[in-house]
Formats: sequence, structure tokens, C-alpha cells
Amino acid sequence: MSFVQIILNAVIFGSQLGLLALGLTMTYSILRFANFAHGELALVGAYLTYLFSVNLKLHFISALIFAIGLTGVVAVLSDRLIFKKLREAPALVLIIASLGLSISVRHIMSAIWGPDPLGYKQALAKVYNFWGAHITSTQLIILMVAGSAMVFFHLLLHRTKLGKAMRALSDNRSLAQDHGINVERIITWVWFICGCYAGLGGALIALETALWPELGFQIILPVFCAAILGGVGNVYGAVAGALVLGFAENIGLSVNWSSVIDLFKIFRIERMLFIPTEYKSAISFLMLVLVLILFPTGIMKGRKGH
Amino acid sequence: MEFGSIIVYFTIMIGIFAILALGLNVQYGFSGLVNFGHVAFFAIGAYTSAIVTTAGAPFIVGIILAGLTSAMMGFLVALPTSKLSVGYWAITTLGIGEVIRLVALNEEWLTKGSFGIEGIPQPLSKLIHISNYPVLYLCIVWMFVGLSYFLMAKLANSPFGRVLKVIREEEDLALAMGKPVFIFKLKAMALGATFAGISGSLYAHYITYISPSDFTPIVTFIVWAMVIIGGKGNLAGSIIGAVVIVVFFNSTRYLKDFLHMRAEIVASLRMVAIGILVILSVLYKPEGLIKEKKKTYDI
Amino acid sequence: MLEVKGIYKSFGGLMAIRGLSLEITKGSIIGLIGPNGSGKSTLFNIVSGFIRADRGEVYFNGEKINGLPPYEIAQKGLVRTFQVSKPLKQMTVLENMLLSYCPQIGENVISGLFKRRQIRAQEEKNLQKALDLMELTGIVHLANEYSSHLSGGQQKLLSLARILARDPEMILLDEPTAGVNPALIKKFMSFIKEIRLERGKTFFLVEHDMNFISGVCDKVYVLDSGVKIAEGTPEQIQKDEKVLQVYLGRWTKK
Repeated sequence: MSFVQIILNAVIFGSQLGLLALGLTMTYSILRFANFAHGELALVGAYLTYLFSVNLKLHFISALIFAIGLTGVVAVLSDRLIFKKLREAPALVLIIASLGLSISVRHIMSAIWGPDPLGYKQALAKVYNFWGAHITSTQLIILMVAGSAMVFFHLLLHRTKLGKAMRALSDNRSLAQDHGINVERIITWVWFICGCYAGLGGALIALETALWPELGFQIILPVFCAAILGGVGNVYGAVAGALVLGFAENIGLSVNWSSVIDLFKIFRIERMLFIPTEYKSAISFLMLVLVLILFPTGIMKGRKGH
Repeated sequence: MEFGSIIVYFTIMIGIFAILALGLNVQYGFSGLVNFGHVAFFAIGAYTSAIVTTAGAPFIVGIILAGLTSAMMGFLVALPTSKLSVGYWAITTLGIGEVIRLVALNEEWLTKGSFGIEGIPQPLSKLIHISNYPVLYLCIVWMFVGLSYFLMAKLANSPFGRVLKVIREEEDLALAMGKPVFIFKLKAMALGATFAGISGSLYAHYITYISPSDFTPIVTFIVWAMVIIGGKGNLAGSIIGAVVIVVFFNSTRYLKDFLHMRAEIVASLRMVAIGILVILSVLYKPEGLIKEKKKTYDI
Repeated sequence: MLEVKGIYKSFGGLMAIRGLSLEITKGSIIGLIGPNGSGKSTLFNIVSGFIRADRGEVYFNGEKINGLPPYEIAQKGLVRTFQVSKPLKQMTVLENMLLSYCPQIGENVISGLFKRRQIRAQEEKNLQKALDLMELTGIVHLANEYSSHLSGGQQKLLSLARILARDPEMILLDEPTAGVNPALIKKFMSFIKEIRLERGKTFFLVEHDMNFISGVCDKVYVLDSGVKIAEGTPEQIQKDEKVLQVYLGRWTKK
């Protein structure tokens, strides 16, 4: 596999993951708990997109927009019905509730659409070749959509009052409250926005690969890894973390590790040593473990923006 | 299946899960350690016992080794994780559980990969007629249940149990009292893992065929549901939780005939119901069905 | 007994403690005062091992203790209370007390399971000691209550009793009178003096209540913005120019 291809794959995966990671890092730092149902928000977005585009036969773009909006609403609902009632509870209780929620949502999707993988039935993608790598038109679209969405988020965070309030809440809640920020209202917006982004991320992932009920769970580990790598609360860190993970997973699989071990002169392995593809998801996880061993409190929460 | 054998099946599964839930309860209920990878210890116990006994060792060796390897794994997991905050610990243990499953899936030389291990020998099977064997196995399982609970009850009431409780409630206070918290956490994880390993072994020898698909994170979640619903920090609670979930899980199998729905949909709805039950428990009955007892002294 | 030498500590760019040094002799009752944010709690946390200093050393009985984990420091005889009492929700007052005794047999799996008889004997002995201490501090009637059901003042008494159970050499009290009613405060004051007299314990306390400080302390250190600005007897520092300036007349006189 050419190096350019590796970079390309990494960026594509990283951008999809980044959409999810930025939402998660925001809810983690503002709501102060690890929301294990975040992957299911992506799942809901993907299935709703399927509902609107395939079941209801709307144009894909409109379907996507409806789906994303609805996912945001679902996120707000999850807060209203469950997490709001647990505002004062210890983080563990919230985590367990989110776990229960994720299981329920996952299986509701499975009950409605069945356990088999589904596709969006879009027209066959054109393939472009360059520099020894190839990219499909679908992947190009994904990159553009993800990229613009991230730019939009940056603008939201820095050019709007809402964004400013979100940043304030994330950095220091009590200080923000003292400055008269209506915490609950901002929280509602946070859920809506992060829900939308998660839904978009999920739809894009499903667009490129496929859609099946375990998608949410499969993605949650890398999403957490990216968010923690980048520093919880740091949106740019989350995106960077997602890209790093994209690289790590792709490079990790392509590198002939016996030559690396040779480099360190530890011992000599005669054959080539590759990490089996099946362990791909373990790579993200191992990176996370490494980071947490070295920095048990996580990488210092970066101050967003600077 | 006739009614008698259904009851036997239920009771055996309740017993196996009661020990598994006890393991998690030791880690979470008593010590406040968040372990989202509990299925890993279950799997390690099951595979250890299966591998060793299919290679010729007797059951008792299998189950003891199962407990020991799981305990070791518990130690290893606790080593890097016990200094982490709750959310990070949760994610890390979840990841560890997944890595274990991936190892089971890929290391075919050890675990026969996705083919699984079959023909796991059953203890004392020569002693009794094959149609009555399940009853004998039931006794074996519940003997282990009794032993586990007896041991844990003694420990919970001992100074060791007391320290675990402080660590759960207020770790800084435990430190200020001179208790080496880190070491206790290691021990609590290892202890809980031991119980999980034993229940894994019992599972393997009952079903006689195990594969990586038996050990998905759903199992972890179901055991958590047992501990949450039954009551944490509470031995009777683990059994009640196991009863509630196992009965619910298996009885809904028969519902599909009533409801005229396809089996997969009922299976999904079952999980949805458990998910909702957990959420409701957390919202409205956080101590679970059975509360922790107050320890009083005569003065 | 306790020597603090040149401690520096900053939190993300904010200098909490700057070149602080102080000394506490055995058998004395020393106070530490200063406005909010002056670094008092930080110093306590550093001395008791909950936070690591960036620079500097702490010596206890000639032994270097900075860098040791809090439980090891506690085991050496330097114990502390917490500003916000940490009530244990599912544990009774007696259980709280029994925890404090150190070393105990039965605090690991093997001995917890197999040394039943020895544990029982130990528990009986400790129970008696605990009840005596609780009698002394006046909370014996609450023995089988959940510690979280106690009032603020009672919880402070409990934390004092817990500490005394360890028979420590030096006791760090973090704002012992916070949230306690005036009658109880008087009782506290006489307790501390009594304990120092009869049991030879050393006290180091952080306080805002000047009456309390004047009532019990032999010597007071004053901190401001992480720096020691004055030291002396309560009378001396009350007249000190720098101290008065810092507080701008904000003494809490009851």
C-alpha cells in the first residue's frame, strides 16, 4: 500500500471519527461524565438517514439533513428524560445510565431494521487515481462534508455568543454561572449540536461502509480514545486525536514490525511481523492505555482556542 | 423440553451468574471499582478450564487454574487503571475486555479461534446416568455458589471488607487513615476476577462448547444489570439480581410464541427491556432491590 | 518535629506557594492563618502527602517525607483531618472508629478469612478503646448511627476521635471550627489543650476564627499569596502591620 494511500485512509477515517469525537469531548467536559451512548447517537443518525433516503425515498441530502436534526432532538430527549435527573449524581451513575441507554437504542434499531447490514443505495461511486493512491467520489464528498462541518463548529465556538458560553461552561462551570450564563439552556444546545454532529458522523461512516446495529458500539472505543488523546474538553485536540488514531491504525497494520524491532536491536526476528488486521481496533485502545499510563489524569485539558 | 429440565437449566444458569455477579459486586459494590470488562475474566476462566481439561486434566484442576489465571488478570488490569478517574477506568476496562475477546478470536493455536472449543468434559459424568446428570451438575454449581458466598460474607465482615468500603466511599479518607489504597484495589480486582473465573469454568463445563461469541460486552452489561438491580455491596442482592435477569432473559424466549413475533425481534426487545430496567433502577432505586445492611455492634 | 523547607508549588501557572519554610516543635500547638487563596490548604496537602511540591522538602522527626504517598505519612504518625468532613454514607460511627486502628490484622484476604479468633479478640479490644474515645469526645450515644446522619459539629468530633484512635504524634487540623456552633467551639478548644497536655500531641491547625487561634495556639504563622508574611504569638501577629494590612480588619471576632 502506498504511503499516500495510508495518509488518505487515515484522513478519511480521522475525519469521520473527528465529528464524533468533538461532540463527545464537549459533552464529557460540560456534562462531566463519559457518555457511552454517544456511539448510539451516530447509529441513530445513520439509521434515520436510511429511513428518510431509502424507506421514504427522499433525496439523499434532504434525508441527511432531516436525520441529523432529528438526532439532535434525540440527544436532547436523552438529556431531558434521563441525564437531567441525574445532574447531581456521581459520574458513575451517569455512566451506567448511558450504558443502559446505549443498549436500549442499539436494540431498538435492531428490532426495527433487523440485524443485517444495510446500505444507502447510492449510485456507484467514481474512482479517481493519483500518486499511487485511489479515492472514490463518495470519499471525497465525505471529506468535504466533514471538513466544512468542522469549520462550521469552529466558527460556532468562536464567533457566536452560544459558542462562547459553551467554551466558558467547559472550562469552568462555576465561574460561568457567576457570570450569569443560563447553564441549562446552554446544555440543551450542547446536546442538540453534539447530537447533530454525531448523527452526521454516523451517516458518513455508514455511507462509506455499511450500516448495522453494532456500528455504535464498534466506534465508541476509538471515539473515546480520540477525545482522551486530545484532552477532554479540547475540540481541536479531539479532531487531532482522531487523525492520529487514523494514522496509527493504518500505519500500525502496514508496518513490518520485525524491521522496527531490528532497529532497536532487541532481538532478531527472521520472518516479517505484521499486526493481524483483526487487531486493528486494538491499536486505538493500546494507544489510549499508553497515554493513560503516562498521564493518569489524561493529557492536560487544553484550553480551547489557545 | 419438559418442565423439570427447564427448572434445572434455569437454576444452573442462575448459579453460574450469581457467582459472576458476586465477582463484579466485590469490585464495584464493595470497593467502588468500575469494571466494564468483566466478561474478560469470565472468558479467561472458561478458556483456561476448557483448554486444560480437554488436554486431559481433571475438572478440579481446571476450575482452580481458572480462578488463578483470572485473578492474575485482575491484578494486571488493576495495575495501570486504579489511579484513573471513573470515566477513564470504564473505557479502559471496556477496551481490555474487547482485547481479550480479540485474542480469543485470533489466537487459534490457543483457543481454536472462532471455531471454539468443543467437547469440554463434564465432571463426575461417569457417576450418574446421562439423563440425570444435570441435577448432579446443579449440585456442583450451587456448592460453588455456597462456598463463594460463604467466603465473601466472612471477608465482607472482616477488617478487609471494612477497608474496601472506605475506599469505595471516600478514598482520600482511607489514605489519610494510613491504608495503602492502591494495594487494596489490586486485591479487590483480583478477588472479583477469581469469582468470575470460577463461574467461567462452571459455564464451560456445563455448555461443553465455548467460542468467542459467548463473551461479548453484552455479558458484562447483563452482569452489571444484575448488580445494579439486585443491589450493590450486598451479597443477597447479587443472587436476587441473577434470578431476576436470568428468569427474565429466558422466560421471554417463550413469549415469542405468545406474541407471534420473530425470534430476533423478541431477542432485541428483551435487551431493550433490560436496558430500560437499568435506567429506571438508576433513576429511581439506586441502591437496588436489596439495600446494604447496617453493621451494628452491641455496646 | 516538623520542618518545612523552601516549598514551591504552582498550579498551571498560578503560584500557590512561594519559598515557604516553617518549623513546628514537639508538643506545641501552631496555627496557620491567611486570607482565602493564600495557600494554607495547599500546604496542608503537601505536608500530608496528597499533593507533591514542585520544590522544597518536608521533614518529620528528621525523616524526609515529601514525595511519600499519604498513607505512608499517616503511618509514620502524621495525620490530618479534612476541611469538609468526609462522612462515610454506608458506615456507622463505630465502623469509622474501628477502621482507624493501625496496624490491624485481618486487613487482607488470607488473614480476613483464617485468623477469625485473633480478629475477634482484636475487635473487642479496639471496640472498647473506640467507645472510650467516643465517650471522651461526647459522641458515644451515636455509636451505631450512620456517620452521614451526624450534624456538622458531631462529624468534626468524629474526625477528631478517629484521629486520636491512631495515637498519632502530630495532628493537622484543617479548619476544625468550620460549620460548628459556638458552644461546641469552646469544647474543641479545651479538648485540644487537654490532649496536648495529657497525651503530648502536637497540633498544627489552619483556621479563620481568631478567637480560636488566640485561645489555643502557642505560635501562629501568617500566609498571604503563598508567602509567609509574619510569625509569632497570637498577640504579636494581631498587632503586626503587614498582617493587619492583609486582612484589612477582616478578623472574624465572635
